Amino acid sequence: MSILQSPQRLEAGEIPQGQSPSAPGPRSSTPIESLLDRHPGLWRGRAVGSTLPAGVPTGFAALDRELPWGGWPPAGLIELLVDDPGEGLGLGLVLPALANLGAAARWLLLVDPPWHPFAPALAAGGVVLERLVVARAGEAAAWAAEQGLRSGACAAVLLWGGRWSAAALRRLQLAAETGGAPAFLFRDSAAARHPSPAPLRLGLGTLPGEAGYRVKVIKQRGGRPGALLNLAVPGDPVGRASARQRPLGRPHSSRSG
Amino acid sequence: MRWLAIHLPALPLEVLGLGHADQTPLAVSISRRGERILRCNPAAADCGVRPGLGVGAARALCAGLRILPRRPGAEREALERLAAWSLGFTPQVSLAPPRALLLEVAGSLALFGGPESLIGRVGEGLADLGYQARLALAPTPLGALVLARQGWSPVEGLCPLVPDGPALRSALGGLPLAGLGLGLGRRELEDLTRLGLRRVQDLLRLPRQGLRERLGPQRVDWLERLLGESPDPRPWYAPPPLYRGRIELPGEIELAESLLFPCRRLLLELAGLLMGRRAGARRLDWRLVHGDHTETPFSLGAVRPQWAPDLWLGLLRERLGRLALEAPVREVRLAVTEIDSLDLGSPEVSPDLFPRLAGAGRAPDPALLDRLRARLGAESVRGLALIADHRPERAWRWCEPGESGAGIPRADRPLWLLPRPQPLEERQGRPWLGGPLDLGQERERIDTGWWDGQEVARDYFVATGTRGARLWIYRDLKGPRGWYLHGLFG
Repeated sequence: MSILQSPQRLEAGEIPQGQSPSAPGPRSSTPIESLLDRHPGLWRGRAVGSTLPAGVPTGFAALDRELPWGGWPPAGLIELLVDDPGEGLGLGLVLPALANLGAAARWLLLVDPPWHPFAPALAAGGVVLERLVVARAGEAAAWAAEQGLRSGACAAVLLWGGRWSAAALRRLQLAAETGGAPAFLFRDSAAARHPSPAPLRLGLGTLPGEAGYRVKVIKQRGGRPGALLNLAVPGDPVGRASARQRPLGRPHSSRSG
Repeated sequence: MRWLAIHLPALPLEVLGLGHADQTPLAVSISRRGERILRCNPAAADCGVRPGLGVGAARALCAGLRILPRRPGAEREALERLAAWSLGFTPQVSLAPPRALLLEVAGSLALFGGPESLIGRVGEGLADLGYQARLALAPTPLGALVLARQGWSPVEGLCPLVPDGPALRSALGGLPLAGLGLGLGRRELEDLTRLGLRRVQDLLRLPRQGLRERLGPQRVDWLERLLGESPDPRPWYAPPPLYRGRIELPGEIELAESLLFPCRRLLLELAGLLMGRRAGARRLDWRLVHGDHTETPFSLGAVRPQWAPDLWLGLLRERLGRLALEAPVREVRLAVTEIDSLDLGSPEVSPDLFPRLAGAGRAPDPALLDRLRARLGAESVRGLALIADHRPERAWRWCEPGESGAGIPRADRPLWLLPRPQPLEERQGRPWLGGPLDLGQERERIDTGWWDGQEVARDYFVATGTRGARLWIYRDLKGPRGWYLHGLFG
């Protein structure tokens, strides 16, 4: 629950800062220190990193550094906003995490992927195919994802498309917290205008002339939005010659590095 | 030997209805010396309807009374299904038609924590199934039957537990002769009463030889078996290799959700049978029979053999939730055609023991798959496996989740494959998709598959779309040399 409340506490911490000159402290020199003295319960945004649960490494060092969990939030809804969810953009961004999560005896559930997930590429990315479940759910997509999350039997759930009401998103977020797994929801970028209970929302685009993603942090609970990152996928097949030279079967190490 | 008798006084009624708790007055009639009421439910009894009453009189007493003819066949079926269910308590079960079962429980008492606890479990189970039952434990089968028939019910906590022969003798002694079940006619009873013989103990005090002459040898034999003086072998019930159960509904049910309750009864019966055989089922075939004799069939599946009724009930709830009934349902049937013995060492056998350990270091929990499949359909929940083939569309296949394949992981492949290659326009000699596509430097030729008639000859390129998406496209080297989109790098 402490995670849920943190954004409000962040606001509470910022407002008195502006008013502080009119309230000098009894002992301290700076206004902020005096405030902290008077209100020992006052929460400072910087401290949040240490109280959040450790994240799932994303496989991209720059992204891990940016996110307050040090990776993907380990239990919660993650929105990945793309221009056209039908293009399947963003699976490569999640791939290293899927590879890490596949070590546990839990399923990786893909609900309504836009195309056939291509097994040889997933396996090369380190995904344990035996853990993978692809469900075609249509209208029952939200239900299927919730079942997967709530059951605790999934290490991660990925969903594509669909229209999401605020209530449905909240249920998904709660299910993810309950089941202790991240839920990656790939949505149309138009949804960025609407609020969401997801602790993390990223906007995704492509990198020109290179394999990788342009990532914009739209929202992160306990951290600042607005960061822009260019994440290159190492060894992805635009530089095909280098891909060929790598030993087949174990290219994951180069991807997740 | 310790015998537990299960007497089912309301069986004729229960096989026809959802149970005695029904609000509508319901009665079963038999044609013996005119049509008479055999049994009625409490709602009918409140109106004054009693067993033995003529049908006409019963109708006069209770205007809304629904009278159904007795169904001996259905009673027998129900009794056999209950016998299968009670195999969960002991392997030795014997039918005592028309309305009773005998369980030899000497070997089960310790397992279930003593007679009271065992009887409590049996009584609760029967109540759960919707049967009214009277139970009695005695050293002889006939003794248990006679005592069970006397009207004690486990609900009132008055179930007779008779430990040995002398106790049985005293328990039976106080019973009136008429209720013993010796098959005495009214004239004979009057004769005995005139002799001062009213209770069982009066009869037992008499010399056996004289009794034999007065009552006939068969009745004395019966008495001796009752008291355990002569052996009383019983044929053991052999469960059918498969389970087939059905419930006729008292009225037509239009809401699929309302079927859960009767279906639960079938699941509980099945669970008893499976437990008794240390087995589970992987597939349940249901059939909903409508008023016009059309049927709605559907199946529930589990990845591993399962017996627990709650698990199946959960799956059934999902399935019924998305079932559109085209007509009201009159009857529910359940068939299990394959029974698999359980691996007794596996944690699923006793799911309440160490539930956390069940998933650790093993395959993931299959229950989730079962639940998803119950609603989405079995074909909508699949896994992926590799195949060793260079043709992209043949380098993988759908499979059962958790199944492994043998193939080649390829880092230079896209994460998404189109179900079938999508033809691309060609403009000025270049492939076109909303704009000209930039082809990468590299070209990969896949020319293989001549041996099975699915030959491909293609040059693959990684192209960049107008919006920056990276696409996997190829030029067909056969025929008109067209361009196709085959995958997306995501």
